[in-house]
Amino acid sequence: MTDLPTHGVIWLRSAFAEPSERVAAAEAAGRVTVLTETDLTRDALFAHRGLITGIQLDQDRALCWAEMLSAWLSAGGRWLFNGHMVRPILPEASPFVPMDRPGRADFAQTRIADHPILTGIDPSKLEANRGVAGFYGRGHNPMPKGAIAITGLGPSHVPVDWHWPVGRGAVFSHAGNDLWGAGLEHGLGPVLTERCIAWAGGDLPCA
Amino acid sequence: MRLIATSCGTYYHIETLEGDRAPRVWDAIVPPEDLATTLEPGDTLFVPCRSPAQRLIAQAETIRAHLDQGGTVVAMGESRSDLWLPAIAFTPRPTNWWWWREDGADLGVEVTVPHHPLMAGLDRGAVTWHLHGHFDPPEGATVLIRDADGLALAYVDACTTAGRMVVTSLDPCYHHGSHFMPATTRFLAGFLPALRAIAKGEQGWTRAPLARSATD
Repeated sequence: MTDLPTHGVIWLRSAFAEPSERVAAAEAAGRVTVLTETDLTRDALFAHRGLITGIQLDQDRALCWAEMLSAWLSAGGRWLFNGHMVRPILPEASPFVPMDRPGRADFAQTRIADHPILTGIDPSKLEANRGVAGFYGRGHNPMPKGAIAITGLGPSHVPVDWHWPVGRGAVFSHAGNDLWGAGLEHGLGPVLTERCIAWAGGDLPCA
Repeated sequence: MRLIATSCGTYYHIETLEGDRAPRVWDAIVPPEDLATTLEPGDTLFVPCRSPAQRLIAQAETIRAHLDQGGTVVAMGESRSDLWLPAIAFTPRPTNWWWWREDGADLGVEVTVPHHPLMAGLDRGAVTWHLHGHFDPPEGATVLIRDADGLALAYVDACTTAGRMVVTSLDPCYHHGSHFMPATTRFLAGFLPALRAIAKGEQGWTRAPLARSATD
């Protein structure tokens, strides 16, 4: 099996906007490589430990990466996925399931299991921005077999965040807007950006 | 006479264009990179909101050629249409996504020409969710939707090119595709069938709806 580097994260740039200053700083420090979707080759992926994708990921394009991603995860890759998975990029996943007419109580968060990306962060601080809830997530990407629910929404603990150990690697799925957009009024955006990079890059424990 | 949509493969484009919660009105759904081999004169092109702008900028010549041949382009919000369509003067503004929590909340968004075929069935509630900015439309354009200050949020420009541009700063596809903001689903339920009727020649741009036959 191919050995991956122990560090280095691809920040996949799907959006038009430039990555944030914190991402740019991580790139300048050599921790992050910002790549456009068309530049994500097999060689590029296997030269990095981590991959971070945002909500503007082209899932039609990403569907063509399914075999490559599976092999990379088996070899130890860590993928942080943001958004609703609506194409079977992971063969083990099924399409996003929205909550049925959620109300405010359905957006209350419960930390079902600790995770290095979210450890020490009060889940209630991620529930709303300026008092408006629902940005964090409004449903879930169904968990593959063996995945662990991390954050649950509402009384039924809809698994908006989960961790899936796969091969020597892992997937962290956040079924909402980009994770680093949560908790802005509490200054958590930069914290979450750094946690995402550190986790994907192997600087934090896998789970 | 087809209605073509671009999809950038984002989850909200896929849900909006392919899902069963919005009218499926498309003759074809293609990535922006396929426009040069897809568009035919007479087609109406719909570019959904929050399309990564670099993918449309790369197709600007193709889109302009389509307009010069008399085609129609509909550019939804938050896709930087000012960078890939001609004569777009756009002023962005910070998103006020908490507006409805303020006392006496009313964005004051209005359909300025309720008789316009594209606006059929759209009331204030169906065009009100967030504001992202306004346009200074070129002379001769028809403003469809305005904000409380009278600034244009959507307009039709049939003057700048030989074709027609429908431009808006509203972003219904993102919200609808995110299962967020029911107003955006209502907007699409009214706007998309109206757009298809026009694209297919069943309805004019300015006339009242054509009379239907008894067999329709």
